[in-house]
Formats: sequence, C-alpha cells, structure tokens
Amino acid sequence: MSFVNSDNFLAVALIINRSRDGPAFVFHYPPHVRAVSRGDGEGRDAADLQDILLERLSQPANRDAVAGPAGSDALPRQWDHDEHIFTESGSQIVPWEHVAGFPARDLAGILTPARSYHKTLFQLSLDPLLCVSYPIHVPEDGKWTRPKKTAAKEDKADEQSASNEQPDSSSGKPVDVPKDKVDVKKDDTDEEKRSSMTMFNLVFILNPTQFEVKELVDSLYVHIVKKANKAYKYSQQHSGFIWKESKRILAAKDKAREEHKKMSVLWKEILQSSSLAASMRDIYNAVSQNKIAALHLETAAGVLTPSLQIPVPFYLADIPQDSESDQRGLWLTTANAFLSQDTLEEPGFLDRNFALLLMDDEKKIIAELQADPDPTTVSMVEFVRLSKPTMSFHQVAQSNVLTLGQVRKYAQHFIYWRRAIAIPPLHARDVYIVSPNCDQRRLAQDSQDWQRLFPVAPPLPNFLGELSQSPRPYKHFCPSKAHRPSYLHMLAWLMRRGWVTQLCTFAYVIVWPEILYEVDYEMEAEQLAALEQDRDTTAAADEESPISPTSTPASAGATSSGVPAPSSASSVGGGGDPAPTTSPDASPPRSTATEHAAERARLERIASRAHREAAERATTHARRVAPVATAHPSLNDAPHLKGLTPHLILDAKKATGKEARYLSAIARRLQDDRVRSAWQLFCRYFDGRCALERIALQEEMKRKEVWNLLTSMAEYLLTTRHW
Amino acid sequence: MIQGIFYARFFPQEGPKIVAQSPPGCITATGDTTTTRAPLIDFDVLHEYIIPRQAFCNRYVTINSPDGKYSILGYPIVIPHAKYMRNEFIFNFGLLVEADIDQVPYERVVRRLATTFSEMEKQTEYLSQSEGRPDDGVERLTGRRPIESLLEIVKEDLNNYGECMIPVDEANTINMKLFPHHPSPPVVKGWHVPVSKTKFADIVDPTWDLTLQKVINHIDGVSDVRRIAHAASVSLDLAKTALRHLLYYDTILLLDMFFFGACYAPRPGIHDFVRNVDGMVDECAGYVSHTGLRPSNYHLIRLMTSMVPGRTVLEWMWAHREAGFDVLRYIDVRRFIQFGLIKGCLYRVHKYVVSKQYLAALASGQSRPMPGGDPLQRYTDGCHHFDQIITEQNLTDGEIMKRLKTLPVPKGDLALIYR
Repeated sequence: MSFVNSDNFLAVALIINRSRDGPAFVFHYPPHVRAVSRGDGEGRDAADLQDILLERLSQPANRDAVAGPAGSDALPRQWDHDEHIFTESGSQIVPWEHVAGFPARDLAGILTPARSYHKTLFQLSLDPLLCVSYPIHVPEDGKWTRPKKTAAKEDKADEQSASNEQPDSSSGKPVDVPKDKVDVKKDDTDEEKRSSMTMFNLVFILNPTQFEVKELVDSLYVHIVKKANKAYKYSQQHSGFIWKESKRILAAKDKAREEHKKMSVLWKEILQSSSLAASMRDIYNAVSQNKIAALHLETAAGVLTPSLQIPVPFYLADIPQDSESDQRGLWLTTANAFLSQDTLEEPGFLDRNFALLLMDDEKKIIAELQADPDPTTVSMVEFVRLSKPTMSFHQVAQSNVLTLGQVRKYAQHFIYWRRAIAIPPLHARDVYIVSPNCDQRRLAQDSQDWQRLFPVAPPLPNFLGELSQSPRPYKHFCPSKAHRPSYLHMLAWLMRRGWVTQLCTFAYVIVWPEILYEVDYEMEAEQLAALEQDRDTTAAADEESPISPTSTPASAGATSSGVPAPSSASSVGGGGDPAPTTSPDASPPRSTATEHAAERARLERIASRAHREAAERATTHARRVAPVATAHPSLNDAPHLKGLTPHLILDAKKATGKEARYLSAIARRLQDDRVRSAWQLFCRYFDGRCALERIALQEEMKRKEVWNLLTSMAEYLLTTRHW
Repeated sequence: MIQGIFYARFFPQEGPKIVAQSPPGCITATGDTTTTRAPLIDFDVLHEYIIPRQAFCNRYVTINSPDGKYSILGYPIVIPHAKYMRNEFIFNFGLLVEADIDQVPYERVVRRLATTFSEMEKQTEYLSQSEGRPDDGVERLTGRRPIESLLEIVKEDLNNYGECMIPVDEANTINMKLFPHHPSPPVVKGWHVPVSKTKFADIVDPTWDLTLQKVINHIDGVSDVRRIAHAASVSLDLAKTALRHLLYYDTILLLDMFFFGACYAPRPGIHDFVRNVDGMVDECAGYVSHTGLRPSNYHLIRLMTSMVPGRTVLEWMWAHREAGFDVLRYIDVRRFIQFGLIKGCLYRVHKYVVSKQYLAALASGQSRPMPGGDPLQRYTDGCHHFDQIITEQNLTDGEIMKRLKTLPVPKGDLALIYR
C-alpha cells in the first residue's frame, strides 16, 4: 500500500497551449520543486549503480556541451531560487523559469501533447521525474463554450456527475453571481477570436521509487488527476475560467520579470489574486498529505467548489500480510467484502444492515457543521444527534424526523468527508473480540484517553483482556442493565479506534447420510416409475413411425435421458444429475438404407439393454433397506448408511435439483411449525457469506427469537466464526 | 514481452526518423510491401518523446501511447561534436512494450543500449558511418552486422531467454539480462518457524554461502529460528539474514511456533477450505493423515471450521473426542494447523501481557524500564507476544507466567490480552 506523500509527489503544474503563441508554462506549486537525482534513491542496487557509473563516465563531455551553447544558462551554485540573476553576458535568469531542474520553456513544450491524448492518461517519465496528466483539448470546432442548447444539457449532466463525485452538493452548487449575461456572452465571443487556447494540462509531477510507479499512478490518476482536470474543463467550458486566469498569471509573471520581482513575492501575489493558482496549491497541499482537497474556483459564472481525495480504506477484510504496514488499527470486517452484487441490489439491504459510527466527538462535529451554515445544516445536525451506532439507517429514518433519502445522503456525506464510517449496528447481544489487527503501539495513549472518557469503567488493558479471554455476548461484560448504555458507548469507542471487531457466525447446511439416503431412495423410486411409463410410450412411438434420420437422434436422446446411466446410479453419494454414458452418435450426415438398418439394430440393442438394466435396478431397489427417519439424523449409524459421508450445501439460496430436495427433506424433519417455516426463510442466509447475526435486522425479528430458531436448526448447520 | 525495438535518429534535414526497427513496421510503416500490418503506434505523435528537446536528452524517457496499450522506453542521446552536421548527433535506442507489464527490468536494458552505442559512436563512429551510403555497403565492407538484424537478435533473445550476449564488433559485446524484481522480504524474527517450499537438497551446491548451507539443513518446519541458529552453530543474526535471503527468492515461508496450548482461529479464507477451492481439502488430507485412514473431507472441514478464538488446540481436540471423533488417531494436528495457517484459513491468536503501571510510565514519557527491573518488564507494554518472550528469554509459557507473578507490581496490574 503506497500512500501519496511529499516525497513522491513533488508538484502540480498548469501548462497551456495557444494557437499563435505556442505552449506556456502557467503556474506551478510548490514554487521550489526539489530537483531530485535518481542516484541517491534507495531502490538502487549495486548493479544499477554500476550502470549509472558507466553512464556518467561516458557523459561528462556531453553535459558541459549541452549547457555550453546556452552558456548563460549555467546556473550559479549558490542560488536560493528566489532572486533574479544576471550573468556576465547580460542575460537574466528568472527563478521561476526553471522547474525541477528543467527549463520551464522546454517543459511547456513536452507537456503539451497532441490531440490524441485528449482525455486519456498522459504518462511521461523524464528520469527522475514522472509527469502524469489528463490533457484537455479544445473541442474540434475550436470553441470551448458549447452552443446554448447543448450547453444546457451538458450542464445538467456535468452537474450531476459533479454532485455524484462529491456528495457535498449542498455546498457544492455554484452560487449564482448576478451578472449581465449578454455582456458575458459578448466578451466571450471577442475572447474566442483572440483567445485561442487550444489545450490545457494540469500536470502532476511525481518522483516515485522504481517499484511503486504503477500503484501511485493508478490511484492518483483515477481519483485526482482525472477529476481535477475535469473540474477545470467544466469551469473553462462555462466561463472560460482557465484561459482567463492563465492570461492573468502569465501577465503577472511577465511584469514581475521586468521588475525583477522576487519569486516568493510574486507567488504570494498570484496565490492571493488567482483562485486557479490557489486551487492548485490546495490540491498539492491536500493530496500530498492524503487529505481531502476542497477547491474554491471563483469563475465568472459563479463559485465552484469541487473536492478531490484519494479515498482511504476504513476497513479490511483480512489480516494484512505485513504486520508493520500502515493498515494496522483498521477495522477488520467482512461485512462489506462479502456483499455480493445480488445483496447490494436488494432494496433496503444496506439501510438495515448498517449504522453510522462517527469518528469524532458528536459535539465537535456539530460545531463544525454550525461553523459553516447552509440550508441543510439544521437537518444535518439533527441527523448527527439522531444516528447512533446501535441504530441502522432504516431505524433512524423510522424516527420520522428525516426521510430515508436524507439519511442516506447525509450518511454518505459524513463518510465521504471521513467523519464517520458505516458499521453493522452495535448490539449488546452480539459478540465482540479484540481485533487481531488492532494497533498495540497505541495502547499506552489510548489507555489514558479511555480513563479520561470512561472514568468508572475498568482500565482499558483489563477490559480488552476480558473481551479477548473467550468470546461471549457483549452484555455479559456489563455489570447491570443500567450500565448498558454507557457500555455501548465504550464499545463504540473501541470500534472507532479499531480495538475490537465483531465475531460473526457463518453457516452452511449439512445433509446427514440419513437424509442423503432418504432422498436418493425416493428419487430412485420415482425414476423407476417414470421409466416404466416412458418406456411404454417410446416403444409405441418406435413401432409406429419408421426411423428417419432426423427423428432418430431426437428420440434416442429422449430415451437415453430418461434412462439414468447405470454407473452414476450405483454411486449414490456422487450427486449430480444422471448423465447418459451411452449417448448415441450424432446423426449420420448422409444415411443409406444399410445405415438405416444398422441404426435400427443399434437402437434396438440399446433399448433391450436399457430394459434389462431397468429390470435389474427395480429388483435391487426393492431389496434396498427402506429409509427410516430417526430423531437425530446426525447420530444415525445404521449399517446401510456406512458408506455415506455428510454432504455440505455451499449455498442453500441457490440450491437446485438434488440439493433442493435435501433442503425440503430437512424441513420435513423439523418438528416445530415455526422452525419449519423459518427454515425456508433462513435458508438463504446459509451460504457462508451472510453473518447469522444480521438475520434479525434483515427480517425485522427479535434477536433472541432468531437465535432460538437457529438453535433448533443447529443439527443441520455447519458454522464457523470470524469477523 | 518486447513488442518492438527501434533505432531512431534526428536528421538535420528530415527531422526525427526511425532508421531501424524490429519487427519491421512496428513503429513506422516500411516501404517493404510484405508487411501490411499497421504500425503499433503513431510515430507522428510520439516522435516528440523519442527524439525530444535537448533538455530532456541523455536520460531515461518513457511515454505511454495515447491508446494506453503500449509504452515506449527510450534513452535519447546527444553527442555534440564539430564533425557532425549542426554539431551534434542525436539518436535513441528504444523498446516498445505493453503498458501493463512491469517495466522495471527493461529500464536497465534501455540504459545499456544507450551507453553501448553512444560509446561505440564516439570510438568508431559506428552509427554515423552507416548513414548516407547505400544500404548494405558498409556492412559488407566492414563485415559487421546491420543494426536492424542486431536489434532483432536483441529482441528475440530477451523475449525468449531473458538475456542476450551479442558481439557487435571485435571490441564490443552487448551483454544484457532481464532481472525480475522481488519486493524486499519482511524481517525474520527469532520466533519464526521457516517452512521450506523447495527441496534445498536438490538445488544446493558447494558455491552457496556457507551459513546458508548450514542453515538449510535445519529447516524442518518445526524448529524456530533461534533453535535453527543454535543447531547449525550460526549466530542468530546471520541465521536471520540467511533465511531472509531464502525468503526473498520465495523458497521458504514463515510461520509461528506450534503449541498445543496455543489458540488458532478462522479467517475469511476458511470459506475457500469449506468450498474445497482448488482441491484444497484433498491436498490437506494428503498432508495431514498419518495412518492409512484418510479422514473424509467433511471431517476435515468440520475440524477446521470448529477452531474459535478462546479455545486452545488441546481444548479443541477434547471437544472433538467427546463428540466421537478422536482427532489424533486420524491426523497430525501440527500439520493440520500448519496447513490452515499456510492457506490463510487460520490465524494464530497470540498472548500478550500488559502492565498498566508500565504503560502509564510509557505514556508520560518515562519509557526507560526501571533500573534493576525484571528483564520481563520491557515485554509488558502489549507489543510483545509470548512467543517473543519464550525465544528471547529461553523460558516456557508456564515459567513466564510464574515469573510474572513475582514481578514487583501492584496487585491486578497485569492483564493478559489474546489477539
């Protein structure tokens, strides 16, 4: 797992291309990009160093020479990259015209790729730098702004996608700035003639170690590079924002060049006056620290506030391989990872199975909300107050204060902004254990916090010790019912810090030999009965119609599918549908009379053999021990069941054929009517993926009742327990 | 796989051009009518990165193709000299590879091609001589290989054998090898138990490192690193280094020490076992049954799934014996647990001891263990499991528990956490 940090993420830079004046390096942040040399990387081994040595040996001459013609470009050694420098030949070295060791002019040239890179990944490595971007070109017609009609449509689509990307649509909506639209339009058309920005490219300059390239580029490209460039494109299409701001920044740079302004001063001015430049700073600062970048673009058409982030995982499905990794302390659960597409699409599934766990103090979050009021603040505050980690979203919505839609939207909002996570609702009857992924290095600090927050509770190490001793329902740790609420608070805190995780139970259905035998016996009886009938009818059909080449395979197929292959019939435990082993060959392409006769003879042979076999089977069937239902099939060790081993149904929800018959045979064994009807209902949870703890939520039943029902089915269930 | 290899040059009049390529037509269409395939990439778009501005020359430069299918790895070189037209000679030997492969091994190849040919150009004008003359003239005269066929050999050898050794002229040979990259392995600890994945006896030879030779003799899947070091008469640190080396080549894996008193619990991977993914249960049966009796898949699954946190292996065995299945009669319990651990069905629940007093001292910054304190004290911060104490202090679990009782701490100060 590699995270973006300021070591591998060096800078962001905006480059544009113009039809007349060519490429221009508009702005970059941070102002001083570390010029890194590859040689000191840790990823280098001896052989690499040898290669580099070889390269260096063969190069000194070139290097001087490269710098030679441009002579004046030779940079003085001790230069703070802030002041302007004047060489003896009278040329001026401008601090911002060198970025990461390259002349900005050359960078502008190479970072303005052709149109074929429009809206695709552009990944250029200039050892040691790696530039990643998503270049945006002007539409083919040369106009950034779309004609009115389509523009309106595009608007909507874009806005929708924008609000999808950022659930924070409440604050993300462009604030209308009252401005004369006609005026703007006129300006724009004038602009269009001169403007001629043919593309822009927000480039992310990286310095990854050799082995993290792919991972770094992938996560950055999908979550940041693409979205940032898209947000800029939106602003450019709607108000020519990028081009206008770029012109201003370039003009400011030109002026500063004349005035020999210090770079630090100039950068300060640009960042203050241009919201585009400021947004680049925000992107860099937030992304390099793995935070959420909240941009603020003051376009002519209103303020845009898109936000960008590389989502951080808040849970893990399994213990990480590397015990020293950054994933220590993450919540361990399969509640998310085990969800199949089917369950996700099931209406109301998520609402019933998840609750909101705030990652911060409730009061603090409410204060944050109130600090930046907007129309939704009141209901969001209400939502924070209402939702408890013990209540599913469904239950929160039932309070009738907020609609389910609101609940979902706000929950998403808090999760997106990393203020909360979604967890299966906490319950005192559920079992919680010390998470194998908890971060013990935090034990000292967390013990103190725990003591402060829950002064009357047992000390954290003791409490964790008790929880870890042997798994029991959480309520057993609670001295009395009156303590329940505060103990649930403690549990929420432990969850938040990743100290505990729920121990869930997963089940499969066991089919005991007794049931296997019974179903097999029944099926054989049915087959024999069906065969008897089938044989009569086919025999009649054969007699009536002469065998034609087209009907032959069809009728033969019918016969053979009616006759279970003897080999599969004898292997009882084998399962699977009886398949014809003596399947007739495909119909002959051209049949002659002799072939007809041969075919007929062959079919007759098959028929007589089938007949013989059927008769034999009928007698063996008659000789078999008739199945006897005992009270506990798992304990039945009758001699006729010796060769059978219990069968596991891996997904009772999707059981078909024989397995479906097993399930109904088991249902018949359940004495209690209630248990029997529950069996039909619960079968869909016996797939090893649904935690049995969630049945109560999903079926809106009492936990106790569910457990009682499950206990009565226990004989037929294979269970295993993990998070 | 290298999809294409090329030699590009900058010509003062014609601009950047592909001089040689293999297979023909992979970068630019050739006049040759036998190859009708379209080039894999658009040279008009990409030449900017193959022969870039001077500021970007003499370094490793890579670019992805706009369709995202390929990457071009190159190392453009500028050789300045008055003898050349416009005083410089610019060229690039590059590779075309699929964008989704690991490019790291190829970087060194590209660098080597660049240095070799730039050196040869400087020494004998190897590259510049061939130009401006009828095609094969020079080659026939000097008896040297045309660049095109040279490139083809490089590509074929690297693709087929992962290395190449090609004499270019009497003085120069191109020796290259693709080195696969392995991530650096985790640190080996004294309480780890190495389990070999390869038969070392078959591959070891006398040129191997002496420590390594000693250590591999003692890898038996039961002994911990401390024990191995002791048995092999090797210092613990050297033994760890040697094992880490084996880990790097993925020839061993590390487990924990096995105790009947230890606790193991299922992980989500257990479901693969239940579903018998890739015949896992059958493999397990072969691995664990020590008598002729092979336990049924159902029984193995039942055994594996019935592990639970808070129950030791011993208790687990008793429970099964009570239910009528005498585990020990059918399977080797240690190997069974080991199988579960290796396949990711189980994890070891470790035991930790925490002293609240010591923790409080840590939190307040007095992290030093008290002078004259018990050697066990430093283990009581909850970060060191019993396996570590066992191997580092040479004590058994029971002895540690006894010693802990004599620790000079207030009553009820110590807590045991299982994790």
